[in-house]
Amino acid sequence: MTGSSPSSRKASSWTRYVYLTRHAFQMELRQKNGLAGLVLFAIAAVYTCYQVAGSRADADAWNALAWVVLLFSAFNAVSKSWPDDSPEMRNYLIHVVRPHEWILARITFFCLLLCGLTCIVFLAFTLFLGTEHLSGNQGLAFFGGMQLTAMAMASLLAMIQALAVRANGGFGLIAVLGLPLIIPVILIATRYGMEILNGVAFLDTAHNLLFLATLSAGFGALGYILFPYLWSD
Amino acid sequence: MAQNIWKTAGFALIAYVLIMVFAVPMGPGLLELRETGENTNEVVLGSNALEYHLTGFGTHWSEDPEQLQVILRSKKNLALLNVIEVLDDTHARIGLSLPYSLPSKSWDVLINHPIDGTLLLENGLFLSDRFVDESIVLPKVSIVEAEPNLPFHFPYQPSILETIRNLMLHVPMWFTMFVLMGIAFVASIRQLATPKAIAEDEKAEAAVKVGLLFGLLGLTTGSVWARFTWGAWWVDDPQLNGALVTVLVYSGYMVLRNSLESERLRARLSAVYNLFAFIILVILLMVLPRFSESLHPGKGGNPGFNSYDLDSALRAAFYPAVLGWILIGIWMYRINLRFTRLNKQLR
Repeated sequence: MTGSSPSSRKASSWTRYVYLTRHAFQMELRQKNGLAGLVLFAIAAVYTCYQVAGSRADADAWNALAWVVLLFSAFNAVSKSWPDDSPEMRNYLIHVVRPHEWILARITFFCLLLCGLTCIVFLAFTLFLGTEHLSGNQGLAFFGGMQLTAMAMASLLAMIQALAVRANGGFGLIAVLGLPLIIPVILIATRYGMEILNGVAFLDTAHNLLFLATLSAGFGALGYILFPYLWSD
Repeated sequence: MAQNIWKTAGFALIAYVLIMVFAVPMGPGLLELRETGENTNEVVLGSNALEYHLTGFGTHWSEDPEQLQVILRSKKNLALLNVIEVLDDTHARIGLSLPYSLPSKSWDVLINHPIDGTLLLENGLFLSDRFVDESIVLPKVSIVEAEPNLPFHFPYQPSILETIRNLMLHVPMWFTMFVLMGIAFVASIRQLATPKAIAEDEKAEAAVKVGLLFGLLGLTTGSVWARFTWGAWWVDDPQLNGALVTVLVYSGYMVLRNSLESERLRARLSAVYNLFAFIILVILLMVLPRFSESLHPGKGGNPGFNSYDLDSALRAAFYPAVLGWILIGIWMYRINLRFTRLNKQLR
């Protein structure tokens, strides 16, 4: 591996953070089947929606399906354990990195992962369910809202995933703990999406995006403060 | 003895509130003025007079039937209707003999009565088959507003009617839940500060358990109320969604606890989750409802009851109810906590 070793005393927090983030991606890319599984789940979910609603979906149904697909794809993407999550690896990492470096790296990794996933979901969704409800800049605004929602979900789910892994609760636990907590995000996101589809000007509904950004910053900050308690023995 | 005074106070307050809830009568109001489809057959009113039925709520018309006055109002125009017969306290037959051409089709209905005072039913009468000419001015009638002469009563609210009593049983549930979840929140913070012991975690668990009970009671009482006022057991409304999701979040907390074997790890993880849960509770119940339209009482940016809706009689029952339920909730939490600890010692 290139770059400075994470255990080097001279390495700064920033170096370790960058290293951990890159490491997470390397781990993810090494498991090709896991990555393929994410994409397959997203496309299969979109295709199911297409079979259920077809291209007849009106604006309400189109909006609802888009967010539901994004929500479940995101949960599917984070509902697994990475090699870093094993107790042995944690015992090692505790001695070489600080917990907040690790959680920030994990949040960054989840953000980028879910943002990439959102691109796939959006492409597949517009391909199958059509773009008749989106004209001109509406598509861009909707896509931007999806990306911000993905970030808010990532900053919450990073913490919830760590909690579930620590509790050895399996991945049913991520859904039980995460779904109710994510509902405020989804409520705001669906309202934003509906207003965009209804032709409300972007600036008149941008306060929803501000709300989403605040929520993701809040979740991130909570994770930053609370993760050390989760990690230590 | 002295340290238990607050428990007695809690019980006394709840007893007082329950007596108030079931014993205080309702204030009067007007329900409807409905056409019977018949002619009145009263010679004095002429041949084109139609008969209407006026229905009141909690009124006292038969105690002084002669003094009942029924008035129609549209902007500045007033018209006095003929009371043919007062059937009982809440029903009367009214004769309507208005000219064919009127300044408006839609009329407010008012009554004057020496006991009930002046009552108003907005847009209570719609005359669809009349000719409208806004320049018409009806002959003047002089009417003096009557002062009500009523005992202590809860105010009349259209479509809420008797269920306004539920205010004392539904709203305090959420206040109590909020206080208990606040206790659990503080206990969880202190738990994270003292990782060696689990005393604070026991507190958090007991508080969340009792808080969940109050949340479920709040959902139940709210559901009964929704069935009466909105016609459905559940409606899609930000306030209701927030309440349900809060209960789900704390159910998740209980699931998390049960999936952990090690006591200290359980204490730490559930404390972390509880901090998330409480912040989501604040967002769902206090922040989001202010940003969205809601059917819930107190709509228009205020998740609770509007202060104008609370009159002195409601205040006299509502504030003691809030205080009483909170005291009872804290008492239940302490019993639950002691029970958990005794159980552990016995094992």
